[in-house]
Amino acid sequence: MLFSRRLMLGLAMAGSMAGALAFPALAGEGPTEIDLFFPVPVDGKLARDMGTLIKEFNETHPDVKATAVYTGSYDDTLIKTRAAIKAGKPPSAVIMSANFLLDMQIENELTNLDALIKADGTTKEQFLGQFFPALQGNAVINRSVYGVPFHNSTPLLYINADKAKEAGLDPNKPPQTWAELTDWAKKLTKREGDKVTQWGIAIPCAYDYCGWMMETLTMSNGGRYYNEEFGGEVYYDTPSMLGALTWWNDLVTKHKVHAPGATPGPAVSTSFISGNAAMMMLSTGSLTYVRDNAKFAYKVAFIPRNVRNAVPIGGASLIVPAGLEADKQKAAWTLIKWMTSPEKSGWWSRATGYFAPNMAAYKTPEMVDFLSKNPDAKTAVEQLDVAKPWFATYKTVPVRKTLEDEVMLVLNGKKQPKEALAAAQKAADETLKPYNAETSLKLP
Amino acid sequence: MKLFDRLFRDAPLATRGEITPKLGFLLTVLLAIVWLIPFLWMVVATLRPASDGINAMAELMPSLKPTLDNVRDAWEIGDFPRYTLNTTIICAGILLVQFATITLAGFAFARLAFVGKTLIFYLFLMQLMLVPVLLIVPNLSLVAQLGLYDTLTGVMMPFFASAFGTFLMRQAFEAIPTELEDAALIDGASLFQRIRHIYVPLSVPSFSAFAIISVTSHWNDFLWPLMVINSPDKRPLTVGLSVFTKTAEGTQAWGTIAAGTLMVIAPLLITFLIFQKRFISSFVTSGIK
Repeated sequence: MLFSRRLMLGLAMAGSMAGALAFPALAGEGPTEIDLFFPVPVDGKLARDMGTLIKEFNETHPDVKATAVYTGSYDDTLIKTRAAIKAGKPPSAVIMSANFLLDMQIENELTNLDALIKADGTTKEQFLGQFFPALQGNAVINRSVYGVPFHNSTPLLYINADKAKEAGLDPNKPPQTWAELTDWAKKLTKREGDKVTQWGIAIPCAYDYCGWMMETLTMSNGGRYYNEEFGGEVYYDTPSMLGALTWWNDLVTKHKVHAPGATPGPAVSTSFISGNAAMMMLSTGSLTYVRDNAKFAYKVAFIPRNVRNAVPIGGASLIVPAGLEADKQKAAWTLIKWMTSPEKSGWWSRATGYFAPNMAAYKTPEMVDFLSKNPDAKTAVEQLDVAKPWFATYKTVPVRKTLEDEVMLVLNGKKQPKEALAAAQKAADETLKPYNAETSLKLP
Repeated sequence: MKLFDRLFRDAPLATRGEITPKLGFLLTVLLAIVWLIPFLWMVVATLRPASDGINAMAELMPSLKPTLDNVRDAWEIGDFPRYTLNTTIICAGILLVQFATITLAGFAFARLAFVGKTLIFYLFLMQLMLVPVLLIVPNLSLVAQLGLYDTLTGVMMPFFASAFGTFLMRQAFEAIPTELEDAALIDGASLFQRIRHIYVPLSVPSFSAFAIISVTSHWNDFLWPLMVINSPDKRPLTVGLSVFTKTAEGTQAWGTIAAGTLMVIAPLLITFLIFQKRFISSFVTSGIK
């Protein structure tokens, strides 16, 4: 029932949009005003950089006036965008966490970008061809384009090279398997009696980050987090996930090389910078921060494997919400194309540490120069060869939180991995039930 | 040393030799210290130069070379005077309208007789059980339909009627002897004159208790203003502050965050310090203990 109503709503919206396209809005006076919703995925100085970027856009595009609207975290941005769409005030463009696109498409909240691409005289293949292939899984749904990658990440292993040398390890040969990583972490943990003065490794676990790290570990353990083709299935209660969580838990309880408890991302990077943790797994989005603040030699490396080398992508894409007038849609499209051009996407990458999704960005002279001075920025791009899409399901956030809640319980020593994963699977299945009832379980 | 004088010399004669009140006092002091530590850390972190390194960030010992760099950074990142003004407008606007609505509603529930009074009152109280997040979408649709999206009035509107305030004022008005009202009635006072000259003046402690709760909760509200406001110049303090505290994959500059947080809480803190006695006495006499 619920679903058919949603479908009707989508049809109505599509109908009204077709109407809007057929009768182009009367040429208004002055520029088209559009809002761009943006989360701040990096520290405050970048909120100012975003202001600089939009100011430059407005100066070079007199027919559009864009306003950058700060919207909180990735999760808050989703809430605000949804509420604004329901209130009939959709923003014209949003920098949206790349894994929310499927959920929004299921709810008919996204504009299919195919028509806009076609109107430019390019094909989908040409348009998508600008971006790294690994990013397409989170941008293309049912062979239609719904998002344009803007800033993306992969998890990385950061190593304090000074401490590694001190412990007799060669930072130029970083650990490649979980066994080696465990060994490194043991050698890098320092104790005074029962008290740990330096942890071997830190892995973040807070809402949003925790799910991403679980996906990272599961993938390098040979597994999958979710069904990449269909939004109704997650694979929590599986051997690959169990192995991943058990290993993480072993680092805490068995080897005692990882601080107990669920640590948020910023605490992990602070602890790495301060030398309290000798290694950390964190997003490439933190690279600029580490580069600016580390007072020691550091190395970044691929995430070690247990079964295979694989990582999820992360970061955000630009989307156009459904239900916009044609002129705003067009103006938003102009902004999106400008922001994801090689120059701008490269500029943003150098400012943040996120990698530039547009492959041509790496051919610009500024980027070639930057990479020759900062070879550490190459690792994430090299790791893209083994990168796969970020988990995306129907109701992504609640489904993700069922797993995160249980993982936090395990890291806090309140549950065992096996029972935690079974509980997470049960809760996730419950959340996914309505979607499955309308799709895979709706039999003729 | 005043503390010890109060405890040992000035204590009432009967309790001077007893141990229990002293233990209670000690516990209070301990709790106060625990409460004070994060605050002290914030002040210390605000004044700590970045050159002390991130290691020192966790220390409570103040730096030997204090600096105002963090304060300057925070000040530059956020337009704090504007944010403070917006937050003040929001809190004051909500409170003023609330005073009118809760006085009238509280009076109606306390003194007027009408059909279904108890039922309506309970329905009213049920509102307290709802998590505000649940109402974000319906409230926002309504605000947008009224043309108040991206306005400060839009931020204030959902809070104009307060179930808690109505309940509080009903309790306060019920405690006022009806004889006072009867006397005014004989003198020919109208309904509004009775409210104005009898009920309101006698309920000042309840009003101030409510004002404290209302102002602090709206001062700290983040999600709702974030939903309504788009224009950067209409941001309240909480949203402005979170520009540099909310991070997803990135990292944080603790000194700047501490400085920003201090700026945000300063107005409330100073108000509290000035009116401390009144605040506490209003809670004691209004029966919220």
